[in-house]
Amino acid sequence: MTSLWFDEAAFELLPKATEPLQRMRKQAFEEFRALPIPSQETEEWRYTDLSDFELSFEAHLPSVMRTTSGQDLDGLGVVFSDLDRAAGSDAELVERYLHTLVPTDRTKFTALHGAFRTGGTFLYIPRDVRVELPLQTLTYLDADGAAAFPHTLLIADEGAEVTFIDRFASPDLARALSDAIVEIVVGDGAHVRYVSIQEWGAGVTHLGIQRARVGRDAEFRSLAIGFGASLARAEAETVLAGAGGFSEMLGVFFADGTQHFDHRSVQDHVAPNCSSDLLYKGALRDASRAVYSGWVHVRPGAQKTDAMQTSRNIVLSEHAKADAIPNLEIEANDVRCGHAASVGPVDEETVFYLESRGIPRAEAERLIVTGFFQEVLDRVRLDEVRHNAELAIQEELAELSTAGVA
Amino acid sequence: MTQNDATAPATLEVKGLRAAVGDREILRGIDLTVQQGQIHALMGPNGSGKSTLSNVIMGRPGYRILEGSVTFNGEDITLLPPDQRAKRGLFLAMQYPTEVPGVSVVNFLRTAYQAIKGEQISALAFRKHMKTQMDRLGIEDAMVQRYVNQGFSGGEKKRNEVLQLAVLEPTLAILDETDSGLDIDSLKLVAESVNELAGPELGVLIITHYQRMLNYITPGFVHVMMLGKIVKSGGPELAHELEDKGYEGVRRELGIEAHEEVDEGPDEGVA
Repeated sequence: MTSLWFDEAAFELLPKATEPLQRMRKQAFEEFRALPIPSQETEEWRYTDLSDFELSFEAHLPSVMRTTSGQDLDGLGVVFSDLDRAAGSDAELVERYLHTLVPTDRTKFTALHGAFRTGGTFLYIPRDVRVELPLQTLTYLDADGAAAFPHTLLIADEGAEVTFIDRFASPDLARALSDAIVEIVVGDGAHVRYVSIQEWGAGVTHLGIQRARVGRDAEFRSLAIGFGASLARAEAETVLAGAGGFSEMLGVFFADGTQHFDHRSVQDHVAPNCSSDLLYKGALRDASRAVYSGWVHVRPGAQKTDAMQTSRNIVLSEHAKADAIPNLEIEANDVRCGHAASVGPVDEETVFYLESRGIPRAEAERLIVTGFFQEVLDRVRLDEVRHNAELAIQEELAELSTAGVA
Repeated sequence: MTQNDATAPATLEVKGLRAAVGDREILRGIDLTVQQGQIHALMGPNGSGKSTLSNVIMGRPGYRILEGSVTFNGEDITLLPPDQRAKRGLFLAMQYPTEVPGVSVVNFLRTAYQAIKGEQISALAFRKHMKTQMDRLGIEDAMVQRYVNQGFSGGEKKRNEVLQLAVLEPTLAILDETDSGLDIDSLKLVAESVNELAGPELGVLIITHYQRMLNYITPGFVHVMMLGKIVKSGGPELAHELEDKGYEGVRRELGIEAHEEVDEGPDEGVA
């Protein structure tokens, strides 16, 4: 493996893509060189300091495993494949949608992604096709000092229905970068469920952007579970672009050690008669840090918007710190918008109640946090997805009752 | 000090107990002994310190012991965390049971059962044990699938407390105003459940303002508490005497000023 400074020489070493993609990649490389590392002086990056971040990594591809739950996708006309392969087989779709929701020149890191990404997941569901069982991609990274550029491009055509689980995992590493982009196109009347489970090991810096565009009378439901990485900045954005659209964004995260989470969300109401509902719940222990900043943006003309944004945080240690910063920007006059946020320790009355039943404090806290997250999972209707998420949470919280004993 | 004699009945002994919330002394010297197999009723007007006593015995934070002792089976428990007191066989049915969002009654009880017994039990074996207790108390399946106390009616909350008592099998249970906030049907149901559970294996301390629960449960010992002290003790006849004369009658008899009654601890407004 060669050390990679993301320079001209490294760029030339990349396998060549199809002509239109190669052009996009070249342009992204120029943007990457021109753009500065995001500064904490900007509003977008004020909670995450990357000023000392060294952009030197080993060239390495994560291993990617796709599972179809045994469904015959070809028969349905569904394409579920490597993104580079799809660039050949389904060139028109890839070229029409890749980097349209998250353009390469958004930040230095999206440009880096655009220039150096190889692989990724392409998922296309044709018109009115319903995929019964969840499809899943596992992106696994196990090389120290590696940079990975996971990309998911999901296109649900008109009236299509699909559930997709994006899973990211690694062992603890000395240092690694996950520079990830998820683009989801929810066609008119389509129903898309998107679940991301981020379980990177310690040492990983995760910079992820997820953006969905929801069409007319379409439904987008997302669940983000974030447990891993030393530093995780996760942006989740939904654009309600067609009248009558619906978006649900659920989030569950748990931070320990010195983990730093910077969660940002956008509910962007462009079209009228849309509703969006966001609920993020986080728990923190040790000396971890989490910031949630959310925006509800109602554009002029997005009348009859119904938008809600809720962030709840339990802080289990006096050295941990959480902030929740809601923002509403409303440019229409006939709307219903609300937000709620809370940050606080675990309820002492509840702890005493559990203790009085023989449950030691650490175990009581584990149970309370499990229940706190359960309220989010209860909103996930698909049993298989909920069960998956419950297992991930149980595993993450299992150590809370042993390691947490004071 | 610890009694190791397995055949001796479990014994809760409170001696000369004085306790405060903040700077306010609420318990002013309590002496009380309750044994496994006995039923005691501790009666008193609002603010007499009844709930404070139960909270101090169970170790709720926010109370300060000034003097005296609380021992269980000869062991001083005042420095033990609440879960250790439960593990030794104490149980407190709360006056205001707390909601535990997202945690089902069955999950909650299995976790508690395993902690108290110090052993793992399969979900199936636990369900069987719990079902036996539910049948005894006439509790329907739906209740134990719900989240602990969330959306429960007053009666359901109290019945859930009694179910926990049955499942966790303590040797000594304190029922703190388990009769409060119940309509007559619920009260009867809860009282019958307590009667079902009372017996040689269980000591019960019923804390109540009213005599009405004692229409269904006959205590062997009745104590009257006022101003942080037990001012009178007797047999079951004392409950009837109170019913006739009221607390005012006892005050007159003992020469106690009514207006000295104080507000009680954290669960009555401080927290």
